[in-house]
This record gives sequence, structure tokens and C-alpha cells, in this order.
Amino acid sequence: MTRRMGSLLRTFMVSVVLLVGCSHGDTEKTELTNKGKEIVYATSKDINDMNPHFYSGSMPAQGMVYESLVENTEDGIKPLLAESWEVSEDGKVYTFHLRKNVTFHDGELFNAEAVKRNIEAVQSNASKHSWIKLSTKIVACNVLDEYTVELVLSEPYYPTLVELSMTRPYVFISPKNFVNGGTKEGVSGYNGTGPYKLTEHKVDQYAVFEANENYWGGAPKVKKITAKVLPAGETTFLALQKGEVNFVFTDDRGANSLDVAAMNQFVESGEHQTIRSQPMNTGIIVANSSKTESPVYEKAVREAFWHAIDRETISKQIFEGTEQPADTLFSSNVHYANVKLEKRGYDLEKAKKILEEAGWGIGNTGEFRSKNGKPLAMKLYYDVNSSTQKMQAELIQYTVKRIGVQLEMIGEESSSIANRRSTGDYDLLFNQTWGLAYDPQSTIAAFTSKSSYYHTTRGLAQADELYKKIEEVMVSTNEEHRKSLYADILTIVHEEAVFIPITNGRVTILAPKNLQGISFKQTQFELPFERMYFE
Amino acid sequence: MGSYIIKRFMLSIPLVLIVSFVTFSFIHLSPMDPAEVVLHSQDIPTITDELLVQTRANLGMDQPFLTRYLNWVASCLQLDLGDSYITGKPVWSMLGPAFFHTVKLTLVSTFAIVSLSIVLGVACALNAGKWVDRSVRGVSFFLTSMPSYWLAALLIWYFSVKLDLLPTSGMESYKSYVLPVVVITISYAGIYFRIIRSSMLSNMNEDYVLYARACGLPEKKITMHILRNSLQVAISVFCMAIPIILGSTVVVENIFAWPGLGTLSVKSILSRDFPIIQAYVLVLAVAFILFNTVSDIINAALKPKIRDGL
Repeated sequence: MTRRMGSLLRTFMVSVVLLVGCSHGDTEKTELTNKGKEIVYATSKDINDMNPHFYSGSMPAQGMVYESLVENTEDGIKPLLAESWEVSEDGKVYTFHLRKNVTFHDGELFNAEAVKRNIEAVQSNASKHSWIKLSTKIVACNVLDEYTVELVLSEPYYPTLVELSMTRPYVFISPKNFVNGGTKEGVSGYNGTGPYKLTEHKVDQYAVFEANENYWGGAPKVKKITAKVLPAGETTFLALQKGEVNFVFTDDRGANSLDVAAMNQFVESGEHQTIRSQPMNTGIIVANSSKTESPVYEKAVREAFWHAIDRETISKQIFEGTEQPADTLFSSNVHYANVKLEKRGYDLEKAKKILEEAGWGIGNTGEFRSKNGKPLAMKLYYDVNSSTQKMQAELIQYTVKRIGVQLEMIGEESSSIANRRSTGDYDLLFNQTWGLAYDPQSTIAAFTSKSSYYHTTRGLAQADELYKKIEEVMVSTNEEHRKSLYADILTIVHEEAVFIPITNGRVTILAPKNLQGISFKQTQFELPFERMYFE
Repeated sequence: MGSYIIKRFMLSIPLVLIVSFVTFSFIHLSPMDPAEVVLHSQDIPTITDELLVQTRANLGMDQPFLTRYLNWVASCLQLDLGDSYITGKPVWSMLGPAFFHTVKLTLVSTFAIVSLSIVLGVACALNAGKWVDRSVRGVSFFLTSMPSYWLAALLIWYFSVKLDLLPTSGMESYKSYVLPVVVITISYAGIYFRIIRSSMLSNMNEDYVLYARACGLPEKKITMHILRNSLQVAISVFCMAIPIILGSTVVVENIFAWPGLGTLSVKSILSRDFPIIQAYVLVLAVAFILFNTVSDIINAALKPKIRDGL
């Protein structure tokens, strides 16, 4: 028995050694990559509920299946499901002429009645959509004829077309999928008019999208797209190496499951390429101007903090040059944001001078500043799941210490940080702007919202003036007046240093080298997969 | 024995109630407003006061704490664990499949752990102090001290990427089981085989072994007797291995993208999906209590003296 057991163990160990020794350098690629015809992208989360009138679904997935009336492009608003439109002189009535011969994935005809029913389904759940100001302005949706529909607003609202172009909620699902006449109690299927159909979904495993051969814009060339759930970045890396997935892109929170070095490694191997969009958003540190007991309440402290951030180093060392240093809340490619504002560069001497002038002197310890016995100490909250935010926070903690600011870093979950933002329980926290298409109107509208940036802006001396201008800009029908209002708003928040910009974020894609036609939309939340093709 | 089993099961009921109350209280003591959590979980970009009031009412948060707890217990008894904050789907419809997937992984892993523990335990005991014993213990010490996260990544890299023998992740075929099961087995078999080994060694010194040898019983038969007696001790330990593995698959499931309880719990904790967290803790607590009860019953069956204590 003993001898047999010993020999069994020896055999086992020799087998393991042999198995290990049999390593061959050439990795056999799986069938998936060899086919070279389909995209399998890694996603850290399941696609979730694809009801387009809710917000829990994956935006890239919803973007493949559903479409809106109009599309937001680099050259402005363009037709999509609506071929053309007119706006009444008083700015309150939008008349849309719909594209003919468009069908939903289940064969239902897309017409004015379908538009009316979808818009009404969204409006019947209005409280969920109050973030999108248009939902508070729509009074009626009338069918004029089979392919003409009009949207009546309570008052003129200039971002109407921009908000109608967003990934959700004003997109269209087959009325056959409605439950109890609407969508707020859920939907029975996910039939949109988009270039891809959702054909299979295994929760927390994968979702398969197949090309819609009857797509009004022509069938997409990539016939199959699979979203594979891979929660761990390490597994994504290994799955890419093996060829089980061949496409990775920045998620809707601006985070990459792979860091820049890992992506570069794939590019160097010659089988992949990385493509980066134009600046889409701005990574910012939000300062709480209404927290009177904190030093952050003072403009001088915020200004000095701004000067003490070494954006160049963050850009070069943490983002390896993939994100550029930002000097203002919005990059100049954001509509209405090309405003001349004073640049506050990395200048520790200037930061010290500002603090000295404001009465924050170095105490007996010789390290940190204080004023009237109150230490210059603040807390910075960062997303515990974002490795880059932690690294930025560490660098900032180091540089602000050199001007005598004591900064405590606290890592929390993103939902907890969102909760702090809405309750005002913070000094400083990381955030990002909503991104192209949504900016500047959505981020600016959030300045007044209690669940967003109300506490950030409420403590400003000009807060009431700021809120009045925000209200005015949303209903303004005069382009020049609107431009000047936006310039005033951006100048106020810039001068008060409540939104401290760090870098401009981009969407990054890692894809097979033979995948062509890769481009971006005017939003960081979805990609135009239908334009891609394999060479 | 029948009355012992009934009494033992009756005793677990108050324990389940205590666990449920503690779970419910802890989650509701959280400083976060559940209504706000729901709205953030649903990615509602801007939350208005009206929306908060409406959501609080929908969740029944306007009722006293005790009423909410009793309502929750009452619905749990009807197998209704509420609805997920994120998806709005019944908790059972999400927890059920995840539980099933983890159970599959747990059962295969438990089988592997038990088999390997017995083989290694017996081999080491029979060769106590020799090179087989020393090397098995050395290797197992090395392997069990490796973080399973790292071990998993290493195995994926070698067996999936380099040798292309197995998938990196997912739950598509029987091949998908191999690496997660190996990682779980390495983590636990290294601990459990020592129990068999020491139990075997202590049995080998018992008088009945000496007597059997004196009677001239073949060595093979004596070993089988020792093994049978040693396994009796290990059965209750192995019983508890099932809920322990069930509750500790978080890392393995996450790295192997296994859609089980571990993945679901991490996802729910990160998004503060309280109904799922509550149900997850409750299910695990029930599993621990149940297996503990079963293990006690097995022990009582083996050692009748234990029955008298209850």
C-alpha cells in the first residue's frame, strides 16, 4: 500500500513537471480571433435591464439596439429616425418628419404613433427623468399624420434636440414590448430600430448582439458582437492574450479595466491597436463652498489648492500622456465653452503667497498652516475602485503639503461619494463632467441640483446671480445672449475655483489591428459599432 | 436519536431569527438614505426631493423600524425576499441562479477536496516522517499560503494562455470548472488533509491496532480499520467545509468571471443593493446553521454520549 501510494505520488509529480515543462511559446489562438469577423468585448458589468426608458442598462449595449429621433455629431444635430424637423417661431413646438420604411426588430412599423406612445411612456414616469430638463417641459406629443409628429413644450428650451439625441430616455422600443400600456413597469422584450438586435443574454455571463439585416441604414458589416462579463482586470488581460476577447474600451465611469502600460504591451505585440477619442470630459476636484467650518469655504484656499496641483506630472506619469492637463472646467471643444479664462498653472510660490495674504501662516510646527488656531486641514474623497484617482490623490497630497496644506485621503465607493456630494458632507472630492453632448448644459444644470453640485456652488457670494443665469440660459432663444450667459457662468465658477480641473479624459479603445472604421460618438457612453468592419 | 434531531433543528430557529435581525439592523443602521441609494443604484443622474419622497414611500421607509423588520421576516417566510434596488427584479430571481452556480462549484470542489485530503492524509500518515510526508506537507504549506487571487492568475496564464488547454473564465463547459476547482481545492485540501493525517496517526497508536497486529491481521485490513475510524472524526469537519466554501468563493468567482453568489455579493455591496445583501447574508447564515446542525447530528450518531447533553 505504502509503496503503491509513494509511486502514485511520484507519477503525479512527474506529470505536473512534464506538463509545466511542455510549455511552447506560440500561443494557439482560439477560434474566436481566427474568425476575425466578430467583436467580443470585455465588460466589467452585465448589460442589465435593457429597458431604454430606465437607467440601469449598459449604455453601449442600449446604443446598439435603440435609436433616437436625431443624432448629435461633431457638426451639430443631424437626422436619425427623423429625416427633418421644424421649430415654431416661439420655440415651443418641434415638428418631426419621420424616416419611412423603418421597422422595429420584431417587424412592427416605426411611425408617428410609435413615437407618441414612447414619449408618453417616458413622460408617465417623469419623476425619474427630471435630471433631463426636457422632461419637465414636454406638454404633449401629437400625431399629425403617419410620419409626422409634433412635440409641444411649455416654454422654449434650447437644448431640446441635444437631449432628444441622448442614449436614453427619448429612444424607441416596439410598442408591442410595452407592459400595461407603458414601460415604467418593465418591458416584455428589447426590440428597437437600431443596427443590432439583442439575441441572447445570460445574466452576468455574456450578451450577444446580431446584425439587424433590415437596418434602414444598411446592415452592419460586423455581424456579431458579444459583451463578455469579466469583472477582474487581470482576467481581461489574460483573456485578451488568449484571444477570447478582442476589444476593450473605457467604461461609462471613465475607467479602463486595463491600464495604459498593459494596453501598450498589446500594441507592441503587433496584433492590436489603440484608438483614443478627442477630449470627452474633464476630471475635476469639486470643492464644497458651503461648508463654512472647513478651510475649503475660502476662495483663497481653493485657489492655492488649484495652483498646487501638478497636472503635467499627473498627465505624464499617471496617464502616460493619454490624458492632457486641463485648465478649465470644460475643454474648448465643448459647445459654448471656448471662453477666455485666466490659467492657474502649477506654481507653489504663488500658492504660498495667496495663503499668506489670506492669513494662513505657518504655525510653530513649521509644517502646516493655520489661521486663528484653525489648522489648514481638508479631506479629499476618491473612488476606491479607481487606481488612477488614488495615484492622483497621493501626488496631490504630496504637493499641497509643500504649501502647508494637510490633506487627508479617503477612498470610498462611487455611490458613497455621490451621497456625500448630495448631502454636502465633504471638503473636496473627485468627479468628472458629463462629457460631450451632455455638456455644458447638463453639468451646468447640475450646479443648482441638490443631489449634484448645489453644495459646491451655494456658498459663493454670487450664488443667486449664478442660479438666475443658469435658469435664463436654458430658456434663452437668442444664440448670442446664450453665449454670453454661458461665458458669465463659466467665469463665475472659474474665478471662485470651485471646480478644480485636472485632466481631459478620452475614450480609449483597444481593438484588433485589422478592425477598421473605428470612430466615436459625441458621448463617452457609446460607440458606433455599425461603422466598424474587418479588413 | 429522533428526538435529538428534532430538538437540534428546533434550536437553530432562534439562531436564524437572531441572524436575520442583526443583518436587517446593520444594513438599516447605515448612514445612507436607502431611497437615495436606490436612485443612485439606478444611475438616476439627478435626484429631486419629490423623487426621494416618492421612493421612500415605495420602499416603505416611512414606517417604523420594527414594522419594517416584521414585514421583511413575514415576506421571507413566504420566500419573498423583496426586489433588487438596481434591477427591480425579485431577489430570488437573481439569487437563485447565482446560488445554483455556486453550489455546482462548491460540490465539485468539496468532492475534490475530500478525495485529495483522504489520499494525501493517508499517504502522509503511512509515511510519517519520510520524504513523501515531508514533501507533501512542504508543498501544501507553500500552496495554501499563496493568495488564491495570485494562484488563479498564474494558473490561467499557464494553462489557458500558454498551453491553451482551458478557458480563462466563464461557465461554458466542463472545462470551465477545472481551474476554479483547482484553486479552491489547493486552498482547502492543504488544511483538511492534515486532519486526516493526525487522526490516522493517533488511531495508529490505539490499542486495537496493536491487538489486530498481534492477532496477525493483514496490514491492508488494519489500515482500512484505521482509515474508517479516522474518517468518522473528519466527517463533521467536511460537513462544515461546504458552507465555508459556499461563502468564500468571492475571489475565485470574481477572477474566473463565475456568475455565482460571490460575484453577485460583490456587485451588490459595491452598489449598495441592500435587499440582495440581506438575502445573501441570510442564505449563508442558514447554510452554516444547517450544516452545523447536520454535523452535530452525525457526531451524535457516532458518539451517543453527545445526545445526552441536549
